Amino acid sequence: MEEAENVSAKFSQAAETAPAPTNTRNTGPGRLLIAVYAIFAISATARAGYQILTKFSEAPLAYLLSAFAAVVYVVATVSLAKPGRTAFKVSVVAVLVELVGVLVVGALSVFDAVNFPHETVWSLFGRGYGFIPLLLPILGLIWLYRRRPTPSV
Amino acid sequence: MDAYFYIILVVGLLSTVICAVAGILKKAPNDTTILSVAAVELSLLVYLVGSIIRVASGEQIAGEPWEFWGYLLTALILPIGAVYWSILERTRWSNFVLAAVGVTALVMAARMNQIWY
Repeated sequence: MEEAENVSAKFSQAAETAPAPTNTRNTGPGRLLIAVYAIFAISATARAGYQILTKFSEAPLAYLLSAFAAVVYVVATVSLAKPGRTAFKVSVVAVLVELVGVLVVGALSVFDAVNFPHETVWSLFGRGYGFIPLLLPILGLIWLYRRRPTPSV
Repeated sequence: MDAYFYIILVVGLLSTVICAVAGILKKAPNDTTILSVAAVELSLLVYLVGSIIRVASGEQIAGEPWEFWGYLLTALILPIGAVYWSILERTRWSNFVLAAVGVTALVMAARMNQIWY
């Protein structure tokens, strides 16, 4: 933590003098966040790919949602790891979409179990994955807020 | 659940505890935490070799074979990726990244067991 704070302190000093955007989002706790996002990106992609290739006709809507979730996780992982303002904005959008997705799909899977079999990452608010899909966007937003870029002069 | 699963259960949980404790103690990744992740990789390699021998000697995988091998190969890549990611920045947080490997390997081994039987 001390090291991470030192690094961010250096970065913020540098940001005051140099116009080039520096990345403080992929250090310290951010590395853990990115690692967890990467695990979800891999597992969601593999799961969606498997569902679509083998049993797409059983529940097309749920499996398309799986694929959509996978894309969101991949975008979030990459944009969190990349420096710059554009990547920051992309991260915010991806994490917000993820939060809305897990809430909407979670609710739908409770109330409409026919169209939403419990087979997407976001079903039942991510219960099959230890509710990490629900926690992750909240932690992601907190992290992005704490490391938001300084307003450009 | 077979012996391969229980090996990964023990090694994975041990590695997660070692790495998480090191992270809580504000330590950067060191030989102990990296070696504990290496032990997870080793037990996954044992699973790989054992599975190849079992398939070669005529045993059938009950589920989709390519799903099983997909899980196993992905699990094998995880510890390497985590160690690489953690030595790029040696802070306590990297130990939490390493801690994630053990539990993830454990969950994946459980799924591999389900597919096999």
